[in-house]
Amino acid sequence: MADVVHDLQASPAAASRPVVFRGGLFVPRTHRLIGFAALVALILLWQAASSLGWVSPVLAPSPGEVIDALWRMALSGELATHLSASLLRLAGGFAIGVTAGIAFGMAIGLSSLVRSPGATLVAALFPIPKIALLPLFILWFGIGESSKVATIAFGTFFPTVIATYGAVDNVDRSLVRMGRSFGLSSFAIISKIILPGALPGILSGLRIASSIGIVLLIAAEMIGANEGVGAMVLAAGNLMQSDRLLAGVVVLSLLGLAVSGLIGAIEKRLLAWR
Amino acid sequence: MGRKAAAAAFVLVGLAGSVLPAAAQEKVTVGVLRFVSSGGLFLAVEKGYFKNEGLDVELKFFEAAQPIALAVVSGDTEFGVTAFTAGFYNLAGKGALKIIAAQAREKKGYEGNLVLASNAAYEKGLTSLDKLAGKSVGITQVGSSFHYQLGQIATANGFDLKAVELKPLQSLPNMVASIKSGQVDAIIIAPHLAKPLVASGEAKLIGRVSDVTEYQFGGLFTSTKMISDKRATVEKFVRAYQKGAEDYAKAFLTKDASGNIVYTADSDAAAALVAKHVYPSEEPAQAAAKVKASAFFVDEKARLDVADILTQVQWLKAEGLVDASVDAKSILDLSFIEGHTNVN
Repeated sequence: MADVVHDLQASPAAASRPVVFRGGLFVPRTHRLIGFAALVALILLWQAASSLGWVSPVLAPSPGEVIDALWRMALSGELATHLSASLLRLAGGFAIGVTAGIAFGMAIGLSSLVRSPGATLVAALFPIPKIALLPLFILWFGIGESSKVATIAFGTFFPTVIATYGAVDNVDRSLVRMGRSFGLSSFAIISKIILPGALPGILSGLRIASSIGIVLLIAAEMIGANEGVGAMVLAAGNLMQSDRLLAGVVVLSLLGLAVSGLIGAIEKRLLAWR
Repeated sequence: MGRKAAAAAFVLVGLAGSVLPAAAQEKVTVGVLRFVSSGGLFLAVEKGYFKNEGLDVELKFFEAAQPIALAVVSGDTEFGVTAFTAGFYNLAGKGALKIIAAQAREKKGYEGNLVLASNAAYEKGLTSLDKLAGKSVGITQVGSSFHYQLGQIATANGFDLKAVELKPLQSLPNMVASIKSGQVDAIIIAPHLAKPLVASGEAKLIGRVSDVTEYQFGGLFTSTKMISDKRATVEKFVRAYQKGAEDYAKAFLTKDASGNIVYTADSDAAAALVAKHVYPSEEPAQAAAKVKASAFFVDEKARLDVADILTQVQWLKAEGLVDASVDAKSILDLSFIEGHTNVN
């Protein structure tokens, strides 16, 4: 701790009493290694519980069995089929939901005409569980791909709208006024001041939206889907193949990590100016 | 109430128990679906066959077959009566469950699951089972009885099941909705749901599963632990269950010389008792008529078609729906009932 002790030699009165640096108290630091170790420890504990017979194989498979199931699926090409089907739905639904969400969120954030009705509608429709609407989506869009993409698009739309208009609201108004006094056009104010200012908020909204998209993947693939990670997890549940079920959950979780990493990378690039 | 009074009450109850051993009934619970195919169980409860064996049976109703198997494994219910699915066999294959008696069976000449085509598909020529190749077929879930039956239809008609586009729709109402709107070309569904659709012209009947294959639909099962710890209880339960099955067969499956099912006053009485459990919220007379119209075949001694169960597991294994490690013989305990059919 010697390096954090600030020796205030300059002031003779304080010379006898060194002040300890206390600013580090509420600044948690991230240690990637410790996070990883916690995960590994949990898996090892689970494996030990299975191997030593504390957990009956009827109740839960061991991590070894889950990894084995994952490996077999990867080898047979089944995993690739499911993943590509799911990624297409996820990408399609996410793209539609997020594009529409950002556009609508900007409109709410910038126009009084849209704001009151828009914000009310979003607040009213956001809490509706999209799974409950699934039968209606099937009537409207059929049991093919469109109802699945629509489920994900609806699910990602609302959090994006809320994050976007919240972020627009938080842009420093004095900067907008300054832009005006420098004679910037409305378009320039939006593209040069409001959009960059709102971007951090929008991107963190996208993080939430992407997680919701992955959660909804299961719901979207409930009806009439033979391929897809969600359909695979559901079928494994129906067949009581708990090793395959958990293997699917692992894939979903890795998918979440990958998407979150991707958004992190985009954040780093787009927000380099901060 | 004072402690003395409570103690007195306790002593009284204890005395009553020792003086009247018949009153001390053993409590067991059974997981079951509200289906006519479990009618034998309902008759055994209603007619007091379990009480005569000293068992106080509580029926626990479920919405799907799978959770019943899980409830028996977890010990929430002692017995389960329902259809066999791939999920059931996977769970049983881990050694936790044993099948001990039969429930319903697909048998030629009796009620059974029906294959319906949507009106649009029918007009385009889907008029018989051999034309199902290349069509989409709605089922409840991967590995369900419907899935298996479709596989049997495919084998019998000489086409590959892979040529059929399977659409898992999760629930029976979803299947009905999809066939009405033509979003799937065909479905396999239970008679009590199929007949109204055909009668109202919302779908067309193109075949019966029982014409293609006979099939041991479901059974009575319990946990392996129950058999090893309380064998006497299981024996009592099976005895009463068999009596219920016998009554069911007499009431709904008796045929005359020309092969038509004959209904007597006994049939109506039995139908009313079964209807109480299957359609609890409906008008009794109407519900009893529905019971009679959708009574699957049940063996009068609740004997299992053993060879068929082995065939099922083998097919499901070949399709990758049941794990290769499952040993079909080890999930059967044939010691409670004599004379199971096709044992070797």
